[in-house]
Formats: sequence, structure tokens, C-alpha cells
Amino acid sequence: MSSLESKVAKILKRYPYDITFEINDKIVFLYGNVEKYKEWVEIGLRIGKIKGIDGVVNKIKWRGFPEDRFKEKEERRRMLFEKNREKVIGEYDVIIIGGGIIGTAIARELSRYDIKIALLEKASDIATGASKANNGMIHPGVAPPRNTLKRKLNIRGNAMYDKWAEELGFKFKRVGSLWLITPRTLIRYKKYLPGPLYRVVLKYIFPWVVKFKGMRNGVKGIKILRGKEIFRLEPYVTKDTLAAVYVPSTGIVDSYEVTIALAENAKENGVEIHLKTEVVGFLKEKNIIKGVVTNKGVFLCKYVVNAAGIYADEIAELAGAREYTIHPRKGVELMFHKDTGGLIHHCLSELVFPSHPTSKGGGLNPTIHGNVMWGPTAVEVPDKEDTSVKREEIEFVLERYSTIIPNFPREQMIRYFAGVRAPTFTEDFIIRPAKWVKNFLHVAGIQSPGLASAPAIAEYAIDKLKAMGLELKENPLFNPRRNPIPATAEMSIEELDKRIMENPKWGNIVCTCELVSEAEIIEAINRGAYTLDAIKRRTRAGMGTCQGSYCTLKIAEILSRELGVPLNDILKEESKLFNGPVRGEAP
Amino acid sequence: MKAYNYDVVVIGGGPSGLAVATKLAEKGYKVALIERKDELGGILDQCIHDGFGTKLFNKALSGPEFASVFINKAETLGIGIHLNTYVKNVEIRENEKEIVAISPHGIKNIKTKAIVYAVGCRERHQFEIKIGGTRPAGVYTAGMVQRLINLYGILPGKNILIVGGGDVGMIVARHLYLEGAENLLIVFPEKRFAGLPRNVQQCILDFGIPYQPQTVVKEIIGKERVEGAILVRVDEKWKPIPGTEELYPCDTIILSVGLIPYSLKLKKIGAKIDPRTKGPEINEFFETTIEGVFAVGNLVQIFDYVDDAVESALIAADGVEKYLNQEPKEKIIEFVPGKYIRALIPHRIEWKDDRNIIAFFRANIEKENAHIELRDENGNLLKRYFRRYIRPSTLERIEIPRELLQDKRQVTLNVSED
Repeated sequence: MSSLESKVAKILKRYPYDITFEINDKIVFLYGNVEKYKEWVEIGLRIGKIKGIDGVVNKIKWRGFPEDRFKEKEERRRMLFEKNREKVIGEYDVIIIGGGIIGTAIARELSRYDIKIALLEKASDIATGASKANNGMIHPGVAPPRNTLKRKLNIRGNAMYDKWAEELGFKFKRVGSLWLITPRTLIRYKKYLPGPLYRVVLKYIFPWVVKFKGMRNGVKGIKILRGKEIFRLEPYVTKDTLAAVYVPSTGIVDSYEVTIALAENAKENGVEIHLKTEVVGFLKEKNIIKGVVTNKGVFLCKYVVNAAGIYADEIAELAGAREYTIHPRKGVELMFHKDTGGLIHHCLSELVFPSHPTSKGGGLNPTIHGNVMWGPTAVEVPDKEDTSVKREEIEFVLERYSTIIPNFPREQMIRYFAGVRAPTFTEDFIIRPAKWVKNFLHVAGIQSPGLASAPAIAEYAIDKLKAMGLELKENPLFNPRRNPIPATAEMSIEELDKRIMENPKWGNIVCTCELVSEAEIIEAINRGAYTLDAIKRRTRAGMGTCQGSYCTLKIAEILSRELGVPLNDILKEESKLFNGPVRGEAP
Repeated sequence: MKAYNYDVVVIGGGPSGLAVATKLAEKGYKVALIERKDELGGILDQCIHDGFGTKLFNKALSGPEFASVFINKAETLGIGIHLNTYVKNVEIRENEKEIVAISPHGIKNIKTKAIVYAVGCRERHQFEIKIGGTRPAGVYTAGMVQRLINLYGILPGKNILIVGGGDVGMIVARHLYLEGAENLLIVFPEKRFAGLPRNVQQCILDFGIPYQPQTVVKEIIGKERVEGAILVRVDEKWKPIPGTEELYPCDTIILSVGLIPYSLKLKKIGAKIDPRTKGPEINEFFETTIEGVFAVGNLVQIFDYVDDAVESALIAADGVEKYLNQEPKEKIIEFVPGKYIRALIPHRIEWKDDRNIIAFFRANIEKENAHIELRDENGNLLKRYFRRYIRPSTLERIEIPRELLQDKRQVTLNVSED
């Protein structure tokens, strides 16, 4: 038995189940049955930690495993595959699967070169997965462990954001993080330290430990603050803060705004973006992919980039390149009214070690639009699409982070949502050519800090493509710049007046909570948005105090008029906003 | 930029705004009416049911009919009507107020001596009552649905769960029933409907619409479209009773879970907000804590009848007149909600005047043969009012003779224990 095999066997022995495994090219495949989903995750994670392993494909089933649903899905894919395998849509150099931040970042980076690219997204809009349900934090790179790809790409990605923001015209602000050290920080270890010593450790030793870790990772500018310095930066934080670690490079963005900007710029530079296009299989010759089969038809190609996020493992499986399993990890975020925006200025969190099992990190974040967000949690969920938020989860987040700013007006919450991260069991980014398929690039396991790393991930992925043989010649017509939709809310009165004189629709305020005009909505439609939620992500209409109770109908009406479809056919995201005419009569 | 100059600017073209504007125009002031939508009438334009005007006109008019009385008046009185105009900024200076508003005709710069806010209220949404679950298509507020059906001829869905037993929820239930909804169920946490008895009879009982008291929605189920809701029973304190969860399949959830005064803008310019009513603090003539800035209608507190909201506007019109005439204020008498009183307006008495004071209050208990007491700061009884019934769902109106309040510093209103 090789040493890898004995290590895996040793871990599996701890469980009272009959679990078998095989190792192929440093990828561990697990088979068998366990009682609980929790154990499925735990076993995967334990094996994923073994040094020298490149991936864990966990085919163990837990009790209650939705066998039927997977079969149904498989059957559906097979049916669509057979139906569409002959219908050729076009020939491409690179097909990118997935229209999240990673897919669009790679598409935009690749559009610098003179090649033909298509990006396939199964939803009705880009950025509808984890990229729409993100807290928007651009992590500084202190957290990822050494010797991980995450660490390397996080720090580089963070540094690249200024240029990205400037070129792509999205909002970005380096607000900095403030990590509070309070009596709760090392509470579990308190029993080992007498009272005064505990305070000394918290105030003078522990901050250095954090600072040292960050410095070792290569994060610059970390400072330790004590006393008044803390409260000068953040006057409302808990008064029992003993010290704080300040990291200036932390930034904030709106993750879907970044994704949309990338997609728009990629499109401008010739990338074809196909929405509602679901990958159902691949046309292969030996170990080379010749075409990507979708519900729309076949995209013939030379290279495939798998940036399918939460579905990356399923796409890899369809390609015969399954080297990992995604274990969905849900994060719940609470959004607060802009009125609370003045209460915090940095990404704030209270360091607690060991970190809470269901909310690793997290805290209070300012948003780029002036709201405040609380969260996220980190809960393993069996369902990749489980973005539900239970009342208990809301209460949990409210409780968990209430110690950061004790007097925060918690009743000013205007929305909550959840997103699902896409970690693999090795818990690092997997960006490498497939082991058993020649022209297939994995860009998988992009969980936190994926957003912060995105610019570097795109660069890194393209280096990999080059190494795989993709020839790249600069596209002389590449234009790195993209103009955002002008926002009424940000205009001076004079500028707005001028615009209204040119086009009165700038003066028709549709969403009064967020001050969004009809002209902005029409511009979003002209740029390709055709659902209510797509409009919302591009203009913020419906994101304010009343959460669309006033403007939804008005926006639907504008969509109906501009797209030339009846009001009752307007979509929210994937489903119709309304049912249909009254009494079944056509209007 | 276009410049305007008025004596009074009324922000909000709903019933209260229309009432205050027309009355002031009748008094001879130069009045402007600013409305963010392209029509006057406010929420009344979607209220095609009857029952409006029973107090004011002794007739049960429909919403548009009621509104048209004032709209016609406004048009003949030479009021400056600014439709499709959204007020962005208000700046308060001594003796002058400046409004910057956005309209398709350009930015408007409006100078005025007094401002009356009549911007009404908004509906509470799912996130404010912490409904769990997913966020699919098929969840609406009742007001939006009412508009959708009555003005656009579109049904939101077929199998419908209505959350909330207030007036709006009941009226919408009736519309849905008549317009082709297949299944309807109303749930609410209270033991009884929270709306007016006449609506319970005319909207629910007359049509046999099913309802389930002491029930709330715990979770919304459904990925892209609502597929159902997990209902749970609640106890008297609205606390969910474990084990009583049940799945109710439906494609639509309509929330009618309360209205909240749109007082944010007033707060921004410095007006004090009452945490009970969520509206501004006002004096007996509906002046906010900013001199020359008044607030009327549902912005101040949610009225049950449009007639009462209009009355608030008519009182405010007299106040604006007093302000413009620079009539003196006397001293402040604080008005305090006492035991069993959930909300009370006005918050203070301060003008020199001889008219009775009109006060509105909402109790937080249900009581038969109730006595409501008005006491001064020393606990002396000033006046007692009798009501056959009081209940939280009904806004009560009382008149207080002004001479009772002479030399008082503070008066308290409470429901008598006996």
C-alpha cells in the first residue's frame, strides 16, 4: 500500500461504515454509505487535508440522498444532449462555462487576444449564483493558509482591483478592515490564563500573532491599534475592545456589479455571451473535447474552461474529468438600511478563536452603496440551490454579530439573502488542466476569497491555457474600458438637469427609495437586461426601503413596453412575475 | 432649472394632500401640489371598492370618485400642480423653505413659506416581518396586487395565501375571489380579523373566503416561483407553537402586514419621529417639530378612514394659515399616551386658539364599555369619554375642549382600568 492509500484507509477506519476508495493520479474516489450528511462532509474534508492529494471525489451516499433527483437531472441532460448534439451553433477557440465573476473575468481577460470565445450561462442573467449573493469584500489575504493557491491569488487579486475598477467603471473602495480583539476573542483559553494575564495576552500578544500571520502572507500596512485610536476610526464599536488589527488593503465592491462590468466589457471586445444556455454534455474524441453540447446546440471548440461554480463538479463529470466534489456551503447575509451606513466605516469583525463552526469570520461590512451588511454564516447544506434563509438563521446572525456594535439599530434590516459557496474538499482553488482530458481547464473550488482573487485567477487561468497550447495573439482593437450606466442618484443637480433637457426620461423617477430614473432602466434593457432582477442588479431599482413594493409594477411596465412583450410575460428572474390576465381573459 | 415661488407647497397628491391644498387655495393662498406619480388621487385610484366618504359626504363612494371631488376642485382653484415630480431635497431656512424636485420637465427649484408633507405610507414587506424561506416570484404586497388587478387587469396567481387580517388584506381577498383566484386562504396572528367589522362581513363572510386565525407564515417554499408556505400556529403572544407546522401549497403569497408612514424624508430634515406611530411628532394643527413644516394623513399615523385622514388635512390647513399669519404660540402642553394607549396624536398643544382639539388614538387592548380618561400632570381627571367598544384595530377620535387644558403642562390619555 502506498503512503497515500494508508493515510486514507486510516481516516476511514475511524468511521463505522464500509467505505471503499480508489486513488487515481492523486485523486481519491470514495464509495459507500453513511448515516448523516454531516459525516459525508466530514470524511471528505478529512481526506482532503491529506498532503499530496489533488482532489476528493466523494461518491459516498448519506441517508436521504436524493437519488431520484440526481437521476432525473441526469435523464434530462441525456435527453437534451441527444436532441442537440447535431445542431452546430459555431466554432470557437475557447468555451467558458459559467457566467459568474470567474467566468466573466476569464472571458474579459481572454478578449485581449484575437480568438473566438463564447461564454455559456444557464441562467437568464450573468452573476446569478454566488456572485449575486456575496458580501462584496475584497479580502486582504491574511486569512488563507500558507502554501495555498488561495493565498497567492488573493494578495495579487486584491492589488489588481484598483486598475479593474478604473477600467471597468465599477465602484470600489479600500475601506480597510478592523479586527477587534475583545474579552471574547480567546474565551476558550481563558481558563489557562489568570485574569490579568488574559488581558495582557489579548491586548499585547495576540494582535502581534495576527499581524505576524498577515505579514508572513505578504500583506502590507497592517497596524495594531489600541484605545482611542480604535474609537477614532470606529466610534460605535464595543467599548470593551482591547486592541484591534487594522488592515488597510481590504476593499469593498458590489460583486454582481463587477461581474456585469466584466461581461459587458468582454462582450464589447467580441466575446459571445449566451444566456439560458445550459451545458448538458460534451462531444469527445478520445481524451479531447471537440464540442460543448447545450440545450441550444453544440459549440465546437478547442479549449473548455470550467468556471461553473457550484456545478463545476457536475460539468467536470460530464466531461469525464471529475477530480473533485463540491460540498455546498451556505452563507446568510442581512442587509440594513442606508440610514445605518454612517455607523461603520471599515469591514468590522470581532476575532474569536477558535472560529465559530457555522460562521467562520464574518462581521459587519459597509457596502459600496452605503448600506451595512451583517454576515455571512457558513453552513454545509446538501442542496446546491438552498438559498433559503430560516428565521433562526436571521436571529443567529443578529445575535452572533451584535457584540461588534451593541447599539446598532437592528430593526432597520431591509433584506436578507443567502448564497452558496463552492468549496471542494481540498479547500483550495483548483485551477489546473484536467488530468484525463487534454483541453479542459478546471477553475473550481473558488470559494472565499474568490471575489478578491478574481483578477489574479483570470490571469492565472490564462497562463494555464497557454501552457496547454492555446496560442494567443494580442487583439489590437481591445478596449479595456467600459462605461457604467450613469446613476441619477450620484449626479449633481446641474448634471441631472442637463440630462433631462436631452432626454426627459432622466427626470422620471421610477424607484424613489434608490432614486432610479426611467432612463437608467431603459439603458439597462438596452445592455441586455430583460428580467426584473437583472434591472435591479444594474440600476438598484427595488433595493431600497420598500423593496420594490412601489416600483416593481412600474419597472415591469417599462420592460413590457421596451421589449414588446405583454406585462404578464415579464420575468422576475427565471419565473414569470405575475400569473396572467384576470378571469383568464386576454387584456 | 425652473424657479417657482409659493406660499405653501403640499408634497403628495393623495386625498390628504389634495384636501389641504384645496382648502388653502380656497383661503386665497398661492399653493402648489407636488405628486411623484403622473396622476392625482394617491392610493385611491386603485381602490375601486366603495365605502369612502361615509363621514365626509354621507355617501359610500369609490376611491376614484372620492378623489375626483378634490381633484376637480384643485383644477379649478388654480393650484400649481406638479405631476411626475419627485422631491429630492428640502432645505429649511428661517421664513423660507427651498425644494429641489426632479421632473421630466427638468429640475424645479421651488421656494415657499410653508410645506405640508402628505406623502402617506408604504406597505411592510416580507423582510420586515422576518418571513423565512426562499425569495421566489409570487410574493407581493397587497397594495401592489390591488393595483395590478384593478388597473392592469392582471392576476398575480391562482392559489393564493393572504397574510394579514387587516382591511387591505380583506379587500384584496374579495377582489381576487371575484377576478378568478381558484383557492384563497387568509391567515393572521390575531384571534380575530384586525380590520373594520364591515369589511369582515362584506369581504370575507359574504363570500365564504376561508381564514385561519392565530397562524403565521414561517417559511416560503419554492425555487423560482412560490410553491407553498409553511404555516405555523401561534399563541396569544404570537409565539409559534412548535409542532404545529403544516405545508400549505400555493403559487402566490400576498402580504398585508401593516403600513408604515413614509417619514424618512421628514427625519432627514430634522423633524422628530414618534417611535409609536412611526410618523412625525405634531402639534394640534399638525405642525411637525420644524416650524412651518406640517404633516397630514397617513404619514402622521395610519388612519382607518380616508375621511379621518382628510380631516387631519383640513385641520392642518388652518394651522398653515395661522403660521402664515404669524399667529403667536402660547406654551407647550405635552400630550402623553398612558396605559393601554398604543399611539396618540397630537403630541403637543402649542397654538393660541379657541377651537376644540381633535385627537386620535389607538388602544392596545380590546375592551367593552370602556372609559377613556384625560388626566393632567398631577393625575387630576379632566374628562372622561365612553366607548361601547375599543379595540386595537380601530382608531378613535375625540374632541377635547381647549379650556380644560388651561394652565396644564402635561396631559395623559389612558383607558380606565374599571
